[in-house]
Amino acid sequence: MLKKFDQSAASSKIPSQSATPPISVVGIGNKVAKPDYSEAKIVVATVGLPARGKSYLSNKLMRYLKWLEYDVKVFNVGQLRRSRARQRALTSGQRESHTAEYFSHSNEEATRLRDKLAEDSLDMLIQWLKDGGNVGIHDATNSTHNRRDKIQQRVAREKGFTVIFLESICDDPEIIAANVALKVSSGDPDYKDMSPEEAKTDFLRRIRAYEAVYETITEPGISYLKIINVGDRVVMNHIRGYLQSRIAFYLMNLHLKPRSIFMSRHGESQYNVEGKIGGDALLSVHGQTYAEALPGLIKNNIGDAPLTVWTSTLQRTIQSAQYLPYPKLTWKSLDELDAGVCDGMTYEEIEKQYPEDFANRDEDKFNYRYRGGESYRDVVVRLEPVIMELERQENILIIGHQAILRCLYAYFHNFKQADLPYIKIPLHTVIKLTPKAYGCDEERYTLPIAAVDTHRPKPKAPAPKPLREATPMTSRRHYYAEEETEEVAPLE
Amino acid sequence: MVAPLYTTASGLLFHAGKILVLTVGLPARGKTHISRALERYLRWTGVKTQVISLGDYRRKVIGGTQKLPPDYFTLGEKSPETIALRKRISDGCEQLIWDFFNAKGQVLIYDANNGTKERRRSIAEKFVAAGIHVIMLESICDDEELILANIRSVKISSPDYRGWDQDKAVDDYYKRIRDHVVHYEPVEETDYPSIRIKNVGDNIMVNDIRGYLQSRIVFFLMNIHNRFRTIYFARSGQSLIEHSYKADSDLSPGGWQYAEKLKEFVFKQRAKTLEARGVDPTTRRLVIWTSARRRSHHTAWPFLTTSPNDPCPPSSVKVMERPQMSEINPGVWDGLTPDEVRKYYPDEWERFVKDPYAYRAPRAESYHDLCVRLEPTLIELERQKEDLLIIGHASVIRCILAYLIGLPASEIPAIEVARGDLLEVMPTSYGVYSQAYHFWDGPGRSDTNSGGGDEKNFYENYAEDTKGKRRPEVESLEA
Repeated sequence: MLKKFDQSAASSKIPSQSATPPISVVGIGNKVAKPDYSEAKIVVATVGLPARGKSYLSNKLMRYLKWLEYDVKVFNVGQLRRSRARQRALTSGQRESHTAEYFSHSNEEATRLRDKLAEDSLDMLIQWLKDGGNVGIHDATNSTHNRRDKIQQRVAREKGFTVIFLESICDDPEIIAANVALKVSSGDPDYKDMSPEEAKTDFLRRIRAYEAVYETITEPGISYLKIINVGDRVVMNHIRGYLQSRIAFYLMNLHLKPRSIFMSRHGESQYNVEGKIGGDALLSVHGQTYAEALPGLIKNNIGDAPLTVWTSTLQRTIQSAQYLPYPKLTWKSLDELDAGVCDGMTYEEIEKQYPEDFANRDEDKFNYRYRGGESYRDVVVRLEPVIMELERQENILIIGHQAILRCLYAYFHNFKQADLPYIKIPLHTVIKLTPKAYGCDEERYTLPIAAVDTHRPKPKAPAPKPLREATPMTSRRHYYAEEETEEVAPLE
Repeated sequence: MVAPLYTTASGLLFHAGKILVLTVGLPARGKTHISRALERYLRWTGVKTQVISLGDYRRKVIGGTQKLPPDYFTLGEKSPETIALRKRISDGCEQLIWDFFNAKGQVLIYDANNGTKERRRSIAEKFVAAGIHVIMLESICDDEELILANIRSVKISSPDYRGWDQDKAVDDYYKRIRDHVVHYEPVEETDYPSIRIKNVGDNIMVNDIRGYLQSRIVFFLMNIHNRFRTIYFARSGQSLIEHSYKADSDLSPGGWQYAEKLKEFVFKQRAKTLEARGVDPTTRRLVIWTSARRRSHHTAWPFLTTSPNDPCPPSSVKVMERPQMSEINPGVWDGLTPDEVRKYYPDEWERFVKDPYAYRAPRAESYHDLCVRLEPTLIELERQKEDLLIIGHASVIRCILAYLIGLPASEIPAIEVARGDLLEVMPTSYGVYSQAYHFWDGPGRSDTNSGGGDEKNFYENYAEDTKGKRRPEVESLEA
């Protein structure tokens, strides 16, 4: 589909008119529509034994693509199996057993049932793509040539759809053991009524049942990405197309080493005190105190572990980092959202001078681009290389700005674009994010140094949603089928 | 004053240390093509990079095939003289590599066959001991047609075969390859990081690649292809408030005229170029990239409307707005003339004039910042297989053009891009072909003759102000 410009302003297009009405010179900005992603229709089918991190990779991928505004959904075959079993239990009153016997390939009846489930799940996925989705992740073991061949043929029937197989191979016993332990301890509904020991034994038997028939991807003609021990080795075959290569590159950069990401805004600046936005002001007295206290706080937290500090090129972040005894990098990409013509004004001034524009921005803050400046979406695009680099790094402390940290934070916690501009990132607070298998643990450390509050809640709305309280912070694995509806975002 | 992104005290970039890339592959597998493309890309990002080719070195020192002992390329028993000669050549090459690293070079691509495990290990061990990261970059090709095409187009035109009969040269070359095939050992060892590319990117295997620069290299290699396409560049039309970055003003009446004219000319020129290659222009798509600035994406507007004279159906044109492609941000110098800047920011001005590529005015972007911002766009440009028209700002066109042509980073700010010229660039396997066509002379043509540039916009138009030195040949319409 072609992108259409705003035809309402077309009157200014005729060159023979004496002067072009300078329509766009009034106001301080405008809303910008989301780019057209309707051409992207991709099925990502996972391949791999249980406990090899397939769901980890699919979840990470989903979070990344959603952050870039693609419409992504995971179709987990296990989830479908459980919800159907529960339905049957409700109608017939008979509970089914999904222990290792069910997964044995010598159990013909169960094999047929599982094939059917996988096919149904794929059909649901394809329907969802037809209804406007971009990337559907078919989260299943897909462990045989035969099964993959069927998927390939099914997707080929849809015009413009492509399929990538994502195989996760892991031969590091430690990682597998950790994954198994996680699976057993994280409240997998399949093991609800078992002791952890029993569950573990059964799960290991289930893995062996798959191992007996597992065939790694060797088909030369198909498009696939093979990831060995998350990031050690990667094989890419026939990866074509823009989004496909983005997906491949992203997954290539992931690693599993334990680490933490610290985020802090710069100390209170003189502009913060005056209520002005933008600018390149120095720190206030309070801000200076914060800069002095920061090294102690960080040291208490990570001890002697290595750390790299990232700042923007603006003075307030560089000043805030000045006493930190770690290697520092300055990123132009971390500079604050450019408020264009409003740079250096206070919100009150903007409201007074441009009441309409001001209301407009509040209505749709994510999409609003300041004249001569940026929108939140522009910032997300600009931060994409930063996220890529962040995924590769270990301990990092980012001293940034409100809008920048909102965007980064939204990536780690999977926020919706509409909520992103209202995330609370107070001054003089260090946020520590520790990525776990299915999300991020979060701790906040607020230093008792006074600072102004620069957060502007969404006006007129029925009180800004208590984002954090509603969804308790946890990185526990989320089991889809146990939820009331299927529409919940699979991550916290 | 802030250090540019990622520069370390040693002058190396990206904290990546020094990297030696050893190419591995049989002759005529495109090693040189990949090496040169990578060199161009890394140099553009500001990394000191060089390709050293064993073949070129041998030709320089000894001469073409005629001057070589007959057993030079056969990999069996060799006479002691030949062994000594081969050793002299490879030692000489290695010395060049050491010289490069000692002179603060960062990435060296050693373009040679390196066809045996033993050979690779012996080179790698020496450099790893000196703290240099070694990466194996293997190019595999099992498509006989690709290989033959490569031999015919590149290899037998090399100085080795000067004066030879074509078919005889091909036969001789095949003989050389055959001897290699017997002894060739693909990179199956995993003791060094490696990237293995099969049939120009059909299949890529990556082993143990760590580090920022290393992963950029992989991403770059994932995206290059060798399909024929043309890339066009044109400036956006004149806007109402030329001198202000923040105003983001709309096109002036002259700017709208320019936009109409541009469309007409692009279609005409593109049809000419495609027909010359025997391609029907109506069968290929044209992708247009603009920035998110009004003057840029409104210049693309006429492409979205149909007129009866259009040679291409509108469905074959796709316009994409890319916010990363905004012009260089002039920061606090927005709207100032050079004289004003000299007066109000004397120290900054001095530093700027000394190094306009790396210097970042207060709250502005340097050209280096701009290159970093444009890098994702560039990868997409490499991946794009359709014809592409970039309607952009002078500063942005400069950066991308410098990459395509392979100019050193320091020359980027001095590339002249005149409004009213259409630049046509065709990447080929060894470099690019580029040509500028002058099609418009209305208001806003910031040409050296007409003096139409706005001096308050000097940060963006720096090259015009300095009477840019790098200007592609302009073919005037009358000619």
